[in-house]
Amino acid sequence: MATIQLPGRRRDFRDALSRLHWPLIGMLTMIASAGVLTLYSAAQGSWTPWALPHLVRYGMSLGILIAVALIGMRVWQYLAYPIYAVALIALIMVPIFGVERLGAQRWIDLGHFQFQPSELMKVGLVLALARYYHGLRVEQVSHILFLIPPAIMIGAPVGLIFMQPDLGTAMMLAITGVALVFLAGLSWRIGFLGMLGAVGAAFAAYRFDILHQYQVERILTFLDPDRDPLGKGYHLLQSKIGLGSGGFVGKGYMEGTQSELKFLPEMQTDFIFTIFGEEFGFVGALFLLGLYYAVIVTGISMALRAKTHFARLTAMGILVTFALYVVINTGMVMGLAPVVGVPLPLVSYGGTVMITIMVGFGLVMSAHLSRDGEGGLGL
Amino acid sequence: MARINSHDPERQEVLTRRATLFGGAFTLMLAVVGGRLFQLQVADHQKYLDLANDNQYNRRVLTPLRGEIVDRFGRPLASNRQTFRLLFIPEQTKDLDEAFEAVHAIIPLSEEKRARIRRQMRRRGQGTPIEIDADLTWDEFAKINFDLPHLPGVLPEVGEARNYPLGGATAFVVGYVGAVTDKDIAGVVDEGEENLLRQPGFKVGREGLEKTYDRELRGVPGALDVKVNAYGRVIEELTDKARPPIQGQTLALTIDAELQLAAMKELEGESASAVVMDVVTGDILVLASTPAFDPNDFNFGIKPDLWKQLNESPYHPLLNKPISALYPPGSTFKMISAMAAEMSGVSPSFTVSCPGKLWYGNRYFHCWKKGGHGGGINMRNGIKHSCDVYFYTLAKSLEIDVLAEAAHKLGLGQKFELGIPGQRQGVVPSREWKKAYYAHSPENQTWFPGETLSVIIGQGYVTATPLQLAVMAARIATGKEVRPRIVRVTGDRELPPQPFSDLGIDPKFFATIRAGMDAVVNEPGGTAVRSALENPEWRMAGKTGTSQVYAITAADRARGLAKPEDLPWHRRDHALFVCYAPVENPRYACSVVVEHGIGGARMAGPKAREIMRAVTTRNPAARPAYDPRSAVGAQQARAG
Repeated sequence: MATIQLPGRRRDFRDALSRLHWPLIGMLTMIASAGVLTLYSAAQGSWTPWALPHLVRYGMSLGILIAVALIGMRVWQYLAYPIYAVALIALIMVPIFGVERLGAQRWIDLGHFQFQPSELMKVGLVLALARYYHGLRVEQVSHILFLIPPAIMIGAPVGLIFMQPDLGTAMMLAITGVALVFLAGLSWRIGFLGMLGAVGAAFAAYRFDILHQYQVERILTFLDPDRDPLGKGYHLLQSKIGLGSGGFVGKGYMEGTQSELKFLPEMQTDFIFTIFGEEFGFVGALFLLGLYYAVIVTGISMALRAKTHFARLTAMGILVTFALYVVINTGMVMGLAPVVGVPLPLVSYGGTVMITIMVGFGLVMSAHLSRDGEGGLGL
Repeated sequence: MARINSHDPERQEVLTRRATLFGGAFTLMLAVVGGRLFQLQVADHQKYLDLANDNQYNRRVLTPLRGEIVDRFGRPLASNRQTFRLLFIPEQTKDLDEAFEAVHAIIPLSEEKRARIRRQMRRRGQGTPIEIDADLTWDEFAKINFDLPHLPGVLPEVGEARNYPLGGATAFVVGYVGAVTDKDIAGVVDEGEENLLRQPGFKVGREGLEKTYDRELRGVPGALDVKVNAYGRVIEELTDKARPPIQGQTLALTIDAELQLAAMKELEGESASAVVMDVVTGDILVLASTPAFDPNDFNFGIKPDLWKQLNESPYHPLLNKPISALYPPGSTFKMISAMAAEMSGVSPSFTVSCPGKLWYGNRYFHCWKKGGHGGGINMRNGIKHSCDVYFYTLAKSLEIDVLAEAAHKLGLGQKFELGIPGQRQGVVPSREWKKAYYAHSPENQTWFPGETLSVIIGQGYVTATPLQLAVMAARIATGKEVRPRIVRVTGDRELPPQPFSDLGIDPKFFATIRAGMDAVVNEPGGTAVRSALENPEWRMAGKTGTSQVYAITAADRARGLAKPEDLPWHRRDHALFVCYAPVENPRYACSVVVEHGIGGARMAGPKAREIMRAVTTRNPAARPAYDPRSAVGAQQARAG
């Protein structure tokens, strides 16, 4: 990174900045602003404890995004496997050195801050798979021998995270990985057989008590929210009440009662969309969904125009992750998906996820810069 | 490393196709999310708006104070006292076990208690608190309040609990209250009532008058609308629309607490009962039963070991003996026997000689007095000396149904409307009764004259409660159909005593038995001369009774068992005494039964005398009773 401050590179640096996809950054900033706005309201009109840190983190993460973008795809391609390896080693270390929080070991304490290896893996897996398929011809993708490395690349971290236990992240990671294999050109026939296998495995997991009791509960509650009206289903019901009572135009900013009266648990993270929807109504919620949609569509067009296959696949992988966040979180607060604790990207409070997403979009941006020439600063 | 080929058009084509597919899938999913959003926010908006309002506004039930139960002079027998209680609101906690541990550090919270709280969580309404502890000491209460910031979901509160100032002395009259069970709620259709029953710590009457008059005592719940948050914490009280609760009605009894205590003291140490009645009004002044439980022990749920102990005691401290225990009336039945004989035409001057035993059928019937009473026993003296042979002789020519009729008229074999549950009817044997009793064994249905010999001295099939014996004494004293009552006032409604109708028995039939009862107590040679009252104004008439529990056999005698004291306690005879005073113009009647007290004259008579001495000295009938229209009466009585 020191290189970008070299005097001789000044012109390139300014040039590179101007070639960034600023509309995308604008959309991301609007989404993050919605987060700041909602967090301010959730705290009853206070910058603390959520709104201000969120704003500051976004600012810092935006810097990271630009840095990641400017470093350039070549470097990332070179570092793809090493990053994956670091993330995997960190995941292995979690049960050994990890800190237990809320009944699950997901964190590693690095002195001043705690770090969640599973977040690093979200980027690491995308990079590693993209790197792998970058070196394959399309007819090799569906070859059974060439399917073994990606299966291990996906399976190892998913298994480790599953055991932490963090069902939500493990699922997200698995879906992202499988999606990348498809994007790389896996034949539908093999894909279909794989799906069958996955369904069988899920059934086996349920049958043989591999899932934690609370995970089974969550899934069952999702299937029938009335079975536990004061437990998980209660939160979902309160979330639906919040959204539903918001109506077409919403109750107005800072006028939401569900959050004011604390009917929503973890409202600053998992249920932030409910507060937004309650206060800004159908119109506001649809607008926010529209922003996400625009980000994805813009992202896809950027990805497809990237120079290298690695860049294209990396960007697509990031977009898949991002889209999963959006769909699962919004689906969850409305009772379309199980309550698995997936945040709404850039709006939910939480630093680690914010950094992951912005690093991801840094890679998307980097792919974009690579469209004509080497991109970045030509490292 | 594979050769990097960044210009593979086929590969790029596949990716483009599949990325487009992904975009399409994402569009579809977002459309579903949007559709769901439309359903929630636009289509079903009203439904969720209503639910949101339900969330916010909560109708709080204001629990009414339970009505008091006071004695005839307004002295409280059941009242309410302030308690420090601990409520718990599960919605305010994140982790139930953590919350329990935090409380446990200050007041012990056993596993059973935690399990009970979890059970109650399922039963109560959303946001309704659960009572963890109903009766904290001031120290505990202070500690909880001090630590409150670290105790999630905990709500210390000043509550009300039932208080029985006289404890066991009035246990069998007032009964006790207990926590609401699922069964109580299951039968309730009215939603308001159900809400009241679900209030934390709400109690319903479980025994005695507390049970029978539960509705009257409950009062009318008030209501207060409050704005609450998800944790049930009140944000705002809408006080202008509040409706205050109304305390339950006061129940004023006929019992005189002072005399009740005196009677309980007199019976202490025995398994016994005493009933004192005002024969003019039927007011029950004393309804004593020993040993008694303390109804205060039931306030917060009785401890299992205490409950076990109460249940297993041979002295039956949970049995309301005056109305629920049946005894053979023994010789106290002889007034009925004499009256029946007179009703069948036997003259009171009919005289018998008592040699101590009488041959009838195939065996001897013994008189209680070995060697007999000698000659010249007429009906009056038959009662005075309680001569069994005299009555055996009467029995030989007495129709059992006439005896039964006399017994019914004098109050046996029937229940009286008192409002205290558990009253028993007893047995007054007759031909018809025996036929019904042996409905399944026709060979036993015939009435044998020999059985009349047992019944005429109050043994055999005949049984009665102490209450019935007191009513019998009152009816003999007045010749009227005296009916006992125990509730004088409910709320502000005073129940005036009903004038009793005549029993429809020729007054001359009472003369002999009254004279006999007078002689029992006041004439030398009477079986209870030791139990006479000194005050001539309150000359007392009475009758002893000893009812056999176990017949000493020849084998027992051979082993040297001659005296009843040699028998184990539970095989000794019951001691009974019935009486009324004064002889002229009677006012009070009394019955005393001492279980296994060996002899009426020895154990029951002296106790009855002490009780009647207290009754006649205090003369409660002459004192102004509690007047519901002026609560002043009650306060005076309380101050006194």
